[in-house]
Amino acid sequence: MRIKEDKYYGLLQGLSYSVTILFSIACLLPFLLIISASLTANDSIIRDGYHLIPSTFSLEGYRTVFRFPEDVLRAYGVTFFTTVVGTTLGLFFMTMAGYVLSRRDFKYRNAFSFYIYFTTLFGGGLVPWYILYTKYLHLTDSYMALILPGLMTPFLIILMKNFIRTAVPEELFESAKIDGAGDFRIYWRIVLQLSMPGIATVGLFLALHYWNDWFSSSLYINDTHKYQLQFHLYNVINSASFIANMGAGTGVSLAGDLPTESTKMAMAIVVTGPVLFLYPFIQRYFVKGLTIGAVKG
Amino acid sequence: MFELFTSYFYGKYRNAGKLHYTEIRGFTIVVSNVAGGRKDAMRHFLQELSRNRILFLMLLPTLIYFLINSYFPMVGVYYAFTQFDFNSGLFDSAFVGLKNFEFLWKSGTLFRLTLNTVGYNLAFIVLGNVLAIVCAILLSELRIKWFKKLTQSIMFLPYFVSFVILSVIVYNVFNYDSGFLNTLLAQFGAEPVDVYNKPVIWIFLIILFYLWKNLGYSMVIYLATITGISEEYYEAAKIDGANIFQRIWYITVPMLKTTFVMLLLFALGSIMKGQFDLFYQLIGNNGVLYNTTDILDTYVFRSLKVTFDVGMATAAGLYQSLFGFILIMTVNWIIRKINDEYALF
Amino acid sequence: MKKKSLSKGSLMMLTLVLIMALLSGCGGGNGNNAGSGNDSSGGKSGNDGSSSATGQTADTGIDTSKRVELQVYMLGDAPKDLDKVMAEVNKMAQAELNTTVKFNYTSWTDWDQKYKLLLSSGQAIDLIFTADWTSYQSYAKKGAFLALDDLLPKAAPELQKFVPQSMWDGVKVDGKIYTIPSTYKEYVTNGFVWREDLRKKYDLPVPKDLESFEAYMDGIKQNEPDMMPVSLNSDVKNNLHYIYTELNKMIGALPYGMGVKYENPTEVYSFWGSEEHKEELKVMKRWADKGFIPKNVLNIKDTMQDPLTSGKAASIFGDNPTRFNESVIAVQASHPDWELGYTPFGETTGYASPVHPIHNGFAVPKNSKNPERALAFYEKLVLDQRYNQLTEYGIEGTNYTVEDGYYKMIGTSQSNGFPREAMNGWAWRNPEYMLFDKSFDGVKEIFAELDKIQKPDLFLSFAEDYTSYQAEKAALEQVEKQYLYPLQAGLVDDVDKGLATFMEKAKQAGLEKVQQEWTKQWEQYVSESGIK
Repeated sequence: MRIKEDKYYGLLQGLSYSVTILFSIACLLPFLLIISASLTANDSIIRDGYHLIPSTFSLEGYRTVFRFPEDVLRAYGVTFFTTVVGTTLGLFFMTMAGYVLSRRDFKYRNAFSFYIYFTTLFGGGLVPWYILYTKYLHLTDSYMALILPGLMTPFLIILMKNFIRTAVPEELFESAKIDGAGDFRIYWRIVLQLSMPGIATVGLFLALHYWNDWFSSSLYINDTHKYQLQFHLYNVINSASFIANMGAGTGVSLAGDLPTESTKMAMAIVVTGPVLFLYPFIQRYFVKGLTIGAVKG
Repeated sequence: MFELFTSYFYGKYRNAGKLHYTEIRGFTIVVSNVAGGRKDAMRHFLQELSRNRILFLMLLPTLIYFLINSYFPMVGVYYAFTQFDFNSGLFDSAFVGLKNFEFLWKSGTLFRLTLNTVGYNLAFIVLGNVLAIVCAILLSELRIKWFKKLTQSIMFLPYFVSFVILSVIVYNVFNYDSGFLNTLLAQFGAEPVDVYNKPVIWIFLIILFYLWKNLGYSMVIYLATITGISEEYYEAAKIDGANIFQRIWYITVPMLKTTFVMLLLFALGSIMKGQFDLFYQLIGNNGVLYNTTDILDTYVFRSLKVTFDVGMATAAGLYQSLFGFILIMTVNWIIRKINDEYALF
Repeated sequence: MKKKSLSKGSLMMLTLVLIMALLSGCGGGNGNNAGSGNDSSGGKSGNDGSSSATGQTADTGIDTSKRVELQVYMLGDAPKDLDKVMAEVNKMAQAELNTTVKFNYTSWTDWDQKYKLLLSSGQAIDLIFTADWTSYQSYAKKGAFLALDDLLPKAAPELQKFVPQSMWDGVKVDGKIYTIPSTYKEYVTNGFVWREDLRKKYDLPVPKDLESFEAYMDGIKQNEPDMMPVSLNSDVKNNLHYIYTELNKMIGALPYGMGVKYENPTEVYSFWGSEEHKEELKVMKRWADKGFIPKNVLNIKDTMQDPLTSGKAASIFGDNPTRFNESVIAVQASHPDWELGYTPFGETTGYASPVHPIHNGFAVPKNSKNPERALAFYEKLVLDQRYNQLTEYGIEGTNYTVEDGYYKMIGTSQSNGFPREAMNGWAWRNPEYMLFDKSFDGVKEIFAELDKIQKPDLFLSFAEDYTSYQAEKAALEQVEKQYLYPLQAGLVDDVDKGLATFMEKAKQAGLEKVQQEWTKQWEQYVSESGIK
């Protein structure tokens, strides 16, 4: 049962569907090209370029990616572990911070917001940060070195603060307080429940950061068994592009030649695959409010 | 010392009951009359600290994190003013003043680089957000659930296409000799276009690819905000006879404004940085296009690849930071004058 | 009620903080232990060579009473079976030097950045790979490495004798030795690579100089219009310009458009802007007009070899003998009916320089905790056949076998956990112990030819100090990419005007100052090292 829709409703629906369909095609096409290329023989890519249907079918790209399957699986494991732990920890700290900063009766919220924001403006650069992690925190080859960078970002904290502000009305804090709920209890019982779409968003962004991260491995991990997936795969590609970029004068040659192009594409698929399977589960939180509304109407 | 003592008391008794609360409060007011000025501010802070003890505690991990992860390494800013030397530490290296900044303007391109960087970033910010808002609204209006989920997933796909791969695809489409575009043009009997030799086209292409890649990502933020808006508002407006466009314009859009301003402010602070990979991968060594496509990050990267100098890298970062800092302080100040709610801090 | 919620919250946080501490403890602990282990041992071992008869003493005569773990940093990726090989090596090193060794790899991802970080962060590293292309001279000049002159006689006397004095002299920077050069002699000079089968088929001239190469490309363009006459990518500086200058007998890859002829090394001139330069750019323009250089060459990211081995391109302007040989192997596997031909530039120029000693080496960074032990171990790596062959070829019987004196890999490079030279130990190759694959015979033949016309490399010992003009250097890099690359790729219609614009921009960026300074340093170098 819904109230009768006005005449513009159909117009908007039409617009919505056509725009989303068009844009989806624009997003899908290149991806299909990548899938196709990942299934094409490398020689054929170099000779004839990319096509939507593989001109010479071959699995060599995937074979290169998985040439030592246990390495890839282990790297998946490392990435999965850091993503889960990092996202959980990060979400916990950042939702708390966002909550505290959203409280209007918290006097120094602006000063602290600035304290957090300031770090996006100024930084000491890579070298001091590297020295801090390796020399003072002794994080070389530890999982902590993969989790700590990006655990909290000013952007996500302020975003979280914003979500909480829109989702939780100020009066709710007041009444909860009158009922005798402590600050942490308000957060745990009320704020977290009400700002689910926001948490899902921040959690998604955080998880994507961990999933796509290769830089931390590059800097702080020497033990190949602790490489993140992206870094593990990057190395396969980079050893090939290294030869391409260094002139013949280096005299460096590496054992075995790699099908670079098809491997590059297969790698993209291997990395994206799992996320595409998991994404629908996160999506629930974005459509929930609307489905309730639709049912209600 | 005394302040500490009082606030300790203050905090300790706070949960014990209303009576103590006022008693202690009265006590601290007396103290504040004795001590004055800066001590006063300090005392206020400690007072607040104890009153919102739990809130402070909840914020503490974040504060410590940024202190260690971001503030400690900031001492490295001093590198910008020294001649880096392996034998002496940070503070023993020779002080060289602004010498490390020189390379920024020596090539005579600093002004153009700054202009390009700011220009592209503004386009990214404005177009990116407007498009994200429009798409989020349209998407939220879709009624077929599976379709909605599917399209949203698809729109997220480009985010996973790394710029390395994107540059390969782009080259495949636009290259002069065998690109998809020219093959198509040839079929219609048109003249081939040498896209990689036309600097102006790349302004649009770069913005286009940025939007294509990031839309799915930024849309999620707005979609989440729209999802959070209570359905009751819409029902009420419907009963009042507002049509669908009016409902969007008067309910949804204002609700997105806070988010928009926040994203805008955030992006302004780093207006001199960012999107290195996009430019570096798509343009690479093609100097023909630099006039319209070179940004500060790519310039610094190329320049420092030959000197390995820590001091110069830090100097470039400092220039970017200062620019963003001044900009963001000004804009935030203005916004605070207009409406405190929207200010970032 | 209030109390309860409070304690619950605190508990929650406490748990999380504990988890974090635990996590950092786990990983950090390892680093810590290794670090402190080094700390306690490093301080003493360097003090006194003759003392402490109580401890084990290695045959080198240094104090090895304290057990240490050496940290070695390598470029590239670790081979899969590294652990197995290192277990063997460490067994020996433990017994003979009371040392274990850990090989760390930078991977090729951002290796230059990581290399810089390793050296500038002051980490305790005992051995690190050096080469001209890792900027050995600059790092040595800026004090990143330990001078080895006094350490060598004590810690690695055999190695000191093994490496010829001329090589030690060659790697000296400001009169001090900072790296241990490799004694393996190879050529990385360039040569024309072409498709011999096509050349025969269309009866084209053999590419042996610029003219015949152009004629060959003309023929390909005519007969195989769909093929690229020459393989090229966006790095036109290395793949067109420096190859052109090599053919024109100029020394090495000189920066800032400096020109020095091999026959007349004391005379320095500005190549940029000269008639000679204009001549080069006009040749490139002609090649572009003829369609040899693709219009969008500056955006091509293929390797140089892939297009050749896949049949898309018909030649490479210049490649070194070893890589040419790899192309031959690749082509034989996929297209047995194709043939590749090779002419080393030496045949055109009349001389060829074997690699300079700086080209491959190992240095001891100045923050090393165990420099003596590091050198003693490196001596083993080079001179002890067991160490050497283990680290170059893996475990015999598992990774490789020796047949008729030739190296033979077991399995393929995709399945073998330690292919030939998989540890990237190029620097400790010892000619006496080296094993070659049968397919390498072709390269040896080329090397033998080049040996007949060899002349030493004069350039690489020169250590440039750009401290006084580094701003100009960085700015020039930009101007070069923006204005010179398009010229070098033949993309600019009016070469004279384009060159004038480039020169003007370069001068604004400080070209003259840079060239003057460089010339001064070069002249000093030439006179000090007695080059005439």
